[in-house]
Amino acid sequence: MNFVEFAWLIPLIPLAAFLFIGFFGDRTPEGGGYVAVGAAALAFILSALVGYEILSGTHGDYYYDSIPWLTISNGVVLNFGLYLDNLAVLMMMFASFISMLIFIYSIGYMHDQGDRKKRYYTKVSLFLTAMLGLVMASNFLQLFIFWEIVGLCSYLLIGFWGFRHPKGDKASLAAASAAKKAFLVTRMGDVALLAGLFVLLNAFSSLDFVTLFDPANIALVDKSTLALGSLLIFGGVIGKSAQFPLHDWLPDAMEGPTTVSALIHAATMVKAGVYLTARSFPIFVQSTDVMLFIAIIGGVTAFYAATMALNNMNIKRVLAYSTLSQLGFMILALGAGGYLIAMGVADGTPITGSKAFGYTAGVFHMMNHAFFKALLFLGAGSVIHAVGTEDMRQMGGLRKRMSVTSITMLIGTLSIAGIPVFAGFWSKDFVLEAVMVVAEGSGVAAAIFLLLYILALATAFMTAFYMFRLWYMTFGGEEGEASKHCHGESEKVMTYPLIVLSVFAALSGFLILFGFNQALTFNWAGPGSDFVIGGGGYGMMDVLEKIFTSPFAYLAIVVAVAGFYAAYRMYNFKDVDPGRFNKDGESAMYQLLQKRYFFPQFYDAIALKLTYPVALAVEQVDRKAVDGTVDGIANSLTGGSQMLRRIQNGFVQTYAAYVLGGLLLLFVAIYMIGYIGGL
Amino acid sequence: MTDYLLSMILFTPLVGAVIALFMAGDKLKYARWVALVFSAIPLGLSLLLVATFDNNILGYQFLEQYTWIETSLLHMQYMLGVDGLSLIMVLLTTILVFLVVLFSWEEKERPNFFFALILGMQTGLLGVFMAIDYFMFFIFWEVALIPMYFLINLWGGPRRHYAAIKFFIYTHVASLVMLIGIFALAFQAASIEGWSQLSFAFTDISGVAFSSGFQVLVFGLLFFGFAVKMPVVPFHTWLPDAHVEAPTAGSVLLAGVMLKMGSYGIIRICLDVLPEGAVAWQIPMIIIALVAIVYGALACIAQRDLKKMVAFSSISHMGMVLLGIATLSDIGIAAGAFQMFAHGLITAVLFMVCGIVGHNVGTRQIPLLGGLAEKMPNYAAFMMFGFMASLGLPGLVGFVAEFNILAAFYNWGLAEGVAWVIVIGLASLLLTAGYYLWAMQRSIFGPVTDKVDVSKVHDVSVYEGVSLAVLCGLIALFGIFPALAWDFVFPVASGLAAVLGVI
Repeated sequence: MNFVEFAWLIPLIPLAAFLFIGFFGDRTPEGGGYVAVGAAALAFILSALVGYEILSGTHGDYYYDSIPWLTISNGVVLNFGLYLDNLAVLMMMFASFISMLIFIYSIGYMHDQGDRKKRYYTKVSLFLTAMLGLVMASNFLQLFIFWEIVGLCSYLLIGFWGFRHPKGDKASLAAASAAKKAFLVTRMGDVALLAGLFVLLNAFSSLDFVTLFDPANIALVDKSTLALGSLLIFGGVIGKSAQFPLHDWLPDAMEGPTTVSALIHAATMVKAGVYLTARSFPIFVQSTDVMLFIAIIGGVTAFYAATMALNNMNIKRVLAYSTLSQLGFMILALGAGGYLIAMGVADGTPITGSKAFGYTAGVFHMMNHAFFKALLFLGAGSVIHAVGTEDMRQMGGLRKRMSVTSITMLIGTLSIAGIPVFAGFWSKDFVLEAVMVVAEGSGVAAAIFLLLYILALATAFMTAFYMFRLWYMTFGGEEGEASKHCHGESEKVMTYPLIVLSVFAALSGFLILFGFNQALTFNWAGPGSDFVIGGGGYGMMDVLEKIFTSPFAYLAIVVAVAGFYAAYRMYNFKDVDPGRFNKDGESAMYQLLQKRYFFPQFYDAIALKLTYPVALAVEQVDRKAVDGTVDGIANSLTGGSQMLRRIQNGFVQTYAAYVLGGLLLLFVAIYMIGYIGGL
Repeated sequence: MTDYLLSMILFTPLVGAVIALFMAGDKLKYARWVALVFSAIPLGLSLLLVATFDNNILGYQFLEQYTWIETSLLHMQYMLGVDGLSLIMVLLTTILVFLVVLFSWEEKERPNFFFALILGMQTGLLGVFMAIDYFMFFIFWEVALIPMYFLINLWGGPRRHYAAIKFFIYTHVASLVMLIGIFALAFQAASIEGWSQLSFAFTDISGVAFSSGFQVLVFGLLFFGFAVKMPVVPFHTWLPDAHVEAPTAGSVLLAGVMLKMGSYGIIRICLDVLPEGAVAWQIPMIIIALVAIVYGALACIAQRDLKKMVAFSSISHMGMVLLGIATLSDIGIAAGAFQMFAHGLITAVLFMVCGIVGHNVGTRQIPLLGGLAEKMPNYAAFMMFGFMASLGLPGLVGFVAEFNILAAFYNWGLAEGVAWVIVIGLASLLLTAGYYLWAMQRSIFGPVTDKVDVSKVHDVSVYEGVSLAVLCGLIALFGIFPALAWDFVFPVASGLAAVLGVI
């Protein structure tokens, strides 16, 4: 028996939970919370079994199965099916696993939400369904369908407190607005993705991965068409994974419950974009320009988002910016790795070993990030739950009152900051390494990648700084205003998931040493039968040797430690006043960061100053010009408004008589014509 | 029994209408039962029709043909028949009428007249989709108009008289232009083929080789008649007025079925009989469609009345139908027809939702609403479902239509060397999401409004809830299994595109 034959059940399990909770949730304990947890657990177990089969190579490179869904033209069939390879099962496993932990945690976190719990568990179950459906999809259309349902779920959950907010009406309005913004901004990317689908559908007459990724089919399609399709698809990634310039919805999305933030940032939603980039690699690598573009977007986002985390006082917002920044890292790694592969594709040289590592680095970082970011958000939720505020200035000194949360958060912080042996260290080092490999080449592109490397290094410094700043402001030093009211450590149902996640956040990096890099390798037979891209034969010692003989690895460690040290001096030891650098918050730079580089205003201007006035103008034209003309013609034909008023006053018979008379005349005329015409 | 199936579906509602009329006085309370029974029978029969329809046969099935008027000059026939396209429109009509009757279950004002008009209108609507004779087509086209006029005029809002007469005159003028086109077809056909009698049968006329000049001219006449009905910008202004004033049941049937008569006519008559005309008119049709899509969406953003917003969204979405048809490709025509079906289901939910808020809260003005999710949670859920379906959320029926329409449009643009025009279609998707989400943000989210008294507001009633739930179920069903409807229209579209493709 093969487990993959039951893989189609995996998204259906949380879907069944979604329906069950939707109908009967209020009659089950915790508003269906246990059902949601059970469904996620079951989905995870099945994913793990399927994952084992796929990763152990039982089914070759991938498992594919599909049924026809819609015949849209002669010979053009849209299918519905499964495409399971290393990447897909990796996503399935960590999405369901982390969702399960978040759902368990939610039972404690959402406990006092009363009748809203049902709504919450319905939506998160659908969220997991959509994410699993997305990563298991066998074609771009199916992926797009679930992609949009993921967007819908994020809309519903960000706006979860869009009415009857525990903190009052203003917060309700903010949540409703944030939900709308998330949907609309990501939809901007989505329509680009949709256009990408049209381009590919037109070029390949199919959207199936097996067809589109076949080198023989790719060779038949014009390179510029592929590049156009790639860029449009990447547009979807920019929206979903909140890359510059469609990133601004993510900080606002913090209006949702903290567990939702954890879900969006770790297990679902934003990871979908990175997944799509990795998934579309066979098409993306047909053009070096596309890959360069992707790398630039990733690098810019990583740096730019990190700056905004430096001076933010809201614990969730800092984490939101850090997610943006880390996503940038993943995209940067994929872009850098893909750039080399694209060069290989262009001139027919195989790319192997450490040169093919960009893809691995991006996907690996995505997995590690899932663990430490879920941990950090849930930890932040635990703190917020205990102190009742998100403002870090009112926290502090929570180390003693919340020991489990503080220790697990510290592990998460060490991991994201890239301190050696924690998970984040390994993958971040790979990311930097992947960029450096390209930067060592020659030409303009190499110069750009060198710049991106410097940006990434600066980002690594900032990451360590703002994360330790967050930790010290929350857990270190004197007790703040809100800390004094803290009721102590959260209950076990919340702290146990933290402990489990912290184990992964600390240790998941070691996987790379045990052959896991093979599982994360981009295995794809490129054009020409002898051209194989992959990391083949890159074992534990190779990895260790590569990292610990490279001066750049030490540079990354030094930078991370420097970030930690700066935060330590400013926020723990406190002999350096952070106000020195920004005129106590008065400097223009400080304000610029606080205002998010005026991006919210920019979005608002497009909506309110551009679109809305145009809409109002259309409305005026419609009423005055178009409809006015109609009324004018009617009035002049019926002898002025007097006549029209008479008709309107109910002289329908008169009008009906006109109509009948007219018809009769018409008939007579036609009959006459016919008669004269001799018919 | 399938020999008379179409006639039975067609005239059962008319019989019901007459019976309902007699339910006056103390029998008034039975009017709705009559309506329910006489709308359930056509629904059941049309399901039977779908079940016995043979999708492998091209052309019309369940034919009924009798001579009606036979003179030395005229050969008029009673001719009914359905193909895949008419089939799904018949199904849509019977579903919507049945649900509208259920939705209006608690209609208090002269329910006998009210339900009689709805059933009478159903006969007109069904006749348009079943007739395969131009003269009958035209008669049913006009028959459908009159009950709608009275529905708006008698059960409408404050400006109902103006809206009703405007609706009637506007669409009637268009009908007359169309009639001229139909006569021109019949005369020209007789003259080309040398028939001694005028025949209006589809089957006779669609085989005639009209000259190109004639095709272009008559296409214009017919297209105008149909385009007003769809409606397209700039001949649309009767629609928002009619919708704003019409009772919910009227709006549902108006937007859900009646608008489709226009696009149905374009596919059935214009494309089939006048292929050269269609090719000549392709660019104007595409431009008109794009204008309608974007103009309608922009106008939606500016609306304050929820129902008027939904009315303008119909203009935008019917523009999508035209865009699909205008690509003259198999995907495009099939997707346009599918969009007719999809929009029928979705817009029914939208107008029901608008009707409920107007009835229960007392206002449909978006700025006066707020926090309805708290006061009316089921209502908010239906509204969100409807809005999401309308903005093309994948997994629901509207997405399948929009995806294929835009895919066909992209294919067309690429072939013509203007692939960038797809941007206009895509921008409309953004605008659509924008106005729906903004409307939801202001009406169902946020604090509960204090601008109107909502202390005694109650949620959706059982009858309203059931009809909405059934519609939502169908929207999901056809979204997940679109082939259920698509496979009926595709052969028709493919046949038309094959002819159009060689011109």
